[in-house]
Amino acid sequence: MEDYKFLFKVVLVGNAGVGKTCLVRRFTQGLFPPGQGATIGVDFMIKTVEVDGEKVKLQIWDTAGQERFRSITQSYYRSAHALILVYDISCQPTFDCLPDWLREIEEYANNKVLRILVGNKTDREDREIPRHIGEDFAQRHGMYFLETSAKEAENVERLFMEIAVELMEQAKCKELPKYDGSLGPINGKTSSETSCCLRS
Amino acid sequence: MLPMRKIVHRACFVISRTVYMTCCCGCCSALRPRYKRLVDNIFPASPQDGLVKSNMEKLTFYSLSSPEKLDRIGEYLFQKAARDIYRRRHGFVIIAMEAMDQLLLACHSQTLNLFVESFLKMVQKLLESTDPQLQILATQSFVRFANIEEDTPSYHRRYDFFVSKFSAMCHSNHNDQAVRDNIRLAGIQGLQGVIRKTVSDDLVENIWEAQHMDKIVPSLLYNMQTAEKYETVTCMETDARDGLEDDPPRLAEACLRELVSRASFGHIRSVLRPVLTHFDRHELWVPNDFAVHTFKIIMFSIQAQYSYSAVEALMQHLDAGTCGDPASRTRVRAARAAVLSNIVAIAAGDSVGPSVLEIINNLLTNLRTSVARDSEKESDERLYQEALINALGEFADHLPDYQKIDIMMFIVSKIPNTRGKHTRADGMLQSILLKSLLKVGTTYKTSELSKAFPAAFLDALLRLSAAAGDAPPPLLLQRILHTLLDRRGNAHLLREPTVDYEPLGLSVGKCSRPDLIFISKHGYAIFNSLYEGLQLESNSVENISAIYTTLALLCVELASDETVCDMLQLILSIQQSSLSNPVLSVWQQCALHAVCASLAALVCHVMLLPALQQYITQIIAARREEAPHLLPPLHQFDQLSPSKMPSKLPYLMIDQMALSECLSSCGVEGSRLSSGARYGPAVHRHSWVEAGAAQGRDSLADISAGPTTDLDSANSSPGVQRRIQYDDLDEEYRMFIEKYNYNHRPTAHDFGTYHSGQSESVSLEALVSAARGPSEAERKDAEKRRANLNNTFRTAPFTSLLRLTQPKYEIKDKLEEIFNSLSEEPLLAPSANSPAAKCQNAPYNKYFPELFLY
Ligand SMILES: Nc1nc2c(ncn2[C@@H]2O[C@H](COP(=O)(O)OP(=O)(O)O)[C@@H](O)[C@H]2O)c(=O)[nH]1
Ligand SMILES: [Mg+2]
Repeated sequence: MEDYKFLFKVVLVGNAGVGKTCLVRRFTQGLFPPGQGATIGVDFMIKTVEVDGEKVKLQIWDTAGQERFRSITQSYYRSAHALILVYDISCQPTFDCLPDWLREIEEYANNKVLRILVGNKTDREDREIPRHIGEDFAQRHGMYFLETSAKEAENVERLFMEIAVELMEQAKCKELPKYDGSLGPINGKTSSETSCCLRS
Repeated sequence: MLPMRKIVHRACFVISRTVYMTCCCGCCSALRPRYKRLVDNIFPASPQDGLVKSNMEKLTFYSLSSPEKLDRIGEYLFQKAARDIYRRRHGFVIIAMEAMDQLLLACHSQTLNLFVESFLKMVQKLLESTDPQLQILATQSFVRFANIEEDTPSYHRRYDFFVSKFSAMCHSNHNDQAVRDNIRLAGIQGLQGVIRKTVSDDLVENIWEAQHMDKIVPSLLYNMQTAEKYETVTCMETDARDGLEDDPPRLAEACLRELVSRASFGHIRSVLRPVLTHFDRHELWVPNDFAVHTFKIIMFSIQAQYSYSAVEALMQHLDAGTCGDPASRTRVRAARAAVLSNIVAIAAGDSVGPSVLEIINNLLTNLRTSVARDSEKESDERLYQEALINALGEFADHLPDYQKIDIMMFIVSKIPNTRGKHTRADGMLQSILLKSLLKVGTTYKTSELSKAFPAAFLDALLRLSAAAGDAPPPLLLQRILHTLLDRRGNAHLLREPTVDYEPLGLSVGKCSRPDLIFISKHGYAIFNSLYEGLQLESNSVENISAIYTTLALLCVELASDETVCDMLQLILSIQQSSLSNPVLSVWQQCALHAVCASLAALVCHVMLLPALQQYITQIIAARREEAPHLLPPLHQFDQLSPSKMPSKLPYLMIDQMALSECLSSCGVEGSRLSSGARYGPAVHRHSWVEAGAAQGRDSLADISAGPTTDLDSANSSPGVQRRIQYDDLDEEYRMFIEKYNYNHRPTAHDFGTYHSGQSESVSLEALVSAARGPSEAERKDAEKRRANLNNTFRTAPFTSLLRLTQPKYEIKDKLEEIFNSLSEEPLLAPSANSPAAKCQNAPYNKYFPELFLY
């Protein structure tokens, strides 16, 4: 047996430069990468965490923010269990694009996908989006909300852990997808249909 | 028992971590299952030493003799590797993978299934690592697995993860260029493996589903587009196909080719859709060299019978929304159309019947849409239209000739009738479709005229030329005739009228029997329509030259004793019209004389008729002396001294009697020539009947004798009786003839020539009411007057008829006014077959004769 009981797919989206890749690196490798190039297409990372004594494997797909890669990145939304929508609190335009992103998610992702809004770069002095504005937006659109700093490792662990907890609850509630390590049900189709007991 | 063993195993494991296996093997071996011992033994003490070969042989032998243990062996190997990955002992991981590869290849296909599960889990585990080396290793193992043919594929096995991960690898952005290339190569190889593994069996995993294609296709294209230059070849060498290529763009291309070549009809769209999306997203249309490269590759590798699908997909995408301002949208459209024109030729060879027309129809529809959208300033829209027309030409160029004719007929049928409300868009569409027709016509190699001009096509063309009112279409129409008539490559030599043919080096041949039959059937209609083309007030030098070219080509192509008389007759008629047609300006009159001289000289040049030659040479010489304005080159001028008016120079005209004599002296029957206008509206209303009735005859002379009789032969039967001959014609033909005859739009010239001198005077009101449509009584009345008119023409001496037809200008303008208002209605009904169209025409039929009376 491989040593995890649940497998969840998490996809990060948001404008280029908001810090998606840094968030993933911080979480999976515990570092804040200096000057790496912009993500092309899709990048992939894995991390196994423990929730209530059970191993949960998180497959994390980090997508490129640029328009031109949109068609390939969209194809990854579909099998996602959780979508992290990231903006940069020090950059108003990244916040203004959120409705566009939501429209895309609406179109390409499973409608029961767990959605989390993340305002990144809280370490920065030049904040443009007050916390409550982000919060309001998240609430209006039925999303979880968190502010993070990949640089200062603030709330990053918590972000992914909460996702793992939430998804596990969902999974248990539906008692369906037990990822026992076999290759069978790792495709998202079977499991994403189970995310019913999310917010209500 | 089981827990016990587990504990011991744990213990053993703990020890092994510190002291290594060699030491503890002895103590646990008795308790450990044999397969585990065998597996443990393949690992060396130090990873640098590599797989212990002899022990690997033992393990392999064991697995083959006890295949039921394979699944456990696989699982155990996987567990070991997973631990080693976690501890970053990559050397052992590599050995484990190698062992699994060997076992996989050694397995018999029946037992493979037992092992594959853990094998793939191992591959996935390695792919999940961040170490490029392990990812690449895993990919190689996966490819090895993909190349194995399984007897019974496992239907619950999914490849979702592999497609996702390999696609991600295709986009690697590793800092080290070499590593990046290797990861990308591995990604492509992996995708190739997934495709090979799944493509033949939809039950395994439907690789054609959007969720997979949306990842695979962009990944391949992304790698292809990074090539330094795009070299498109029809077929790739084996290296690339087998994944041995070390250049990501080339390998990606090979993979795309394989994918496309495997796609069945139902699946080809699944590939094309993400291709189109990718080009949109990455803005790869302008410039379009990569798009051309890619689509050619698709065309080269697609199964021939589906190549139409690719063309269709691209055509349907021409208009697809892209972001950006309207100007850039139009540019994108034009670029897409240019790509299309690059690939349709490849498709043409494989297209059959319906799909051919489908493609043409689609292109025409796009043209129509473009015209509708067009605004004056957008020159990019023009580019788009050009590209579409090019595509049409490219496509037609690669079709067999009989299909080209079908296409031309199809295009003709799409040309809107602009006789009625003449919007700018209509005119543009008309000229664009004519351009398309010309493009297709250019690709057609005429052998026999009858094949190039099937009756229905010729009818349609002539109908168009009768309807054409604007400047560009008549010119285009002539160009179409040129390209179809010119079998010997003379057209460019005959662009402008000339009287000196010797230096041109025309290529002249003998007129064939089928051509003679053709011209005997249709010659009159063709000549007549050209004749009328020369009578237009709006004609430019260009228009007249173009008609000259058509006539000259006919003359060259149909040179024979049988046709020479008809040609001369036409020349005489044109000469006559230039003297009598009041709408022609002075320069136009002179131009017609120049055309006559040029054509006469050409007849002499292509036929061996010494006497005629001498006569024409004389006239030309005389004109050169006295009236060079009656010779080519044509040019437009405003003023001419009264003494130089053609009408003042009767001795410089070509004389009918002289021609007849020349012909007789050369042994050609010339008595058929008449000096009066044989061509023209008044006559041609009956001419088509004649042409139709003459189907059995094979000389134009016989036929053209028919219409003449109406005018100047007293013993011919009146037109009314001839009408009966309609019954002999097939229905469609008859309909056309009727429409052609009765819907002809009278030009001012018609009235000028024929509507004068009658004693009856008519008020404008009467004319208007006539135009509205006659009552029953009026119709009877008209019938009677018509009979009268016929009678007059039959009985009156020719000279008095001429006098009768002298123009009366006052009424002309008023008539024109009325006719301008009439022409708001379409004169040619949209469909020849619809009864409604027939009814609509009825009033015209009825009042038409009446109008000829005034
Ligand atoms: N100050 C600050 N900078 C960050 C943070 N996260 C990312 N960045 C910077 O933002 C830029 C873009 O980050 P990246 O992860 O590549 O963004 P992505 O395009 O969304 O993946 C980089 O220069 C990072 O150093 C953060 O939390 N705080
Ligand atoms: Mg990134």
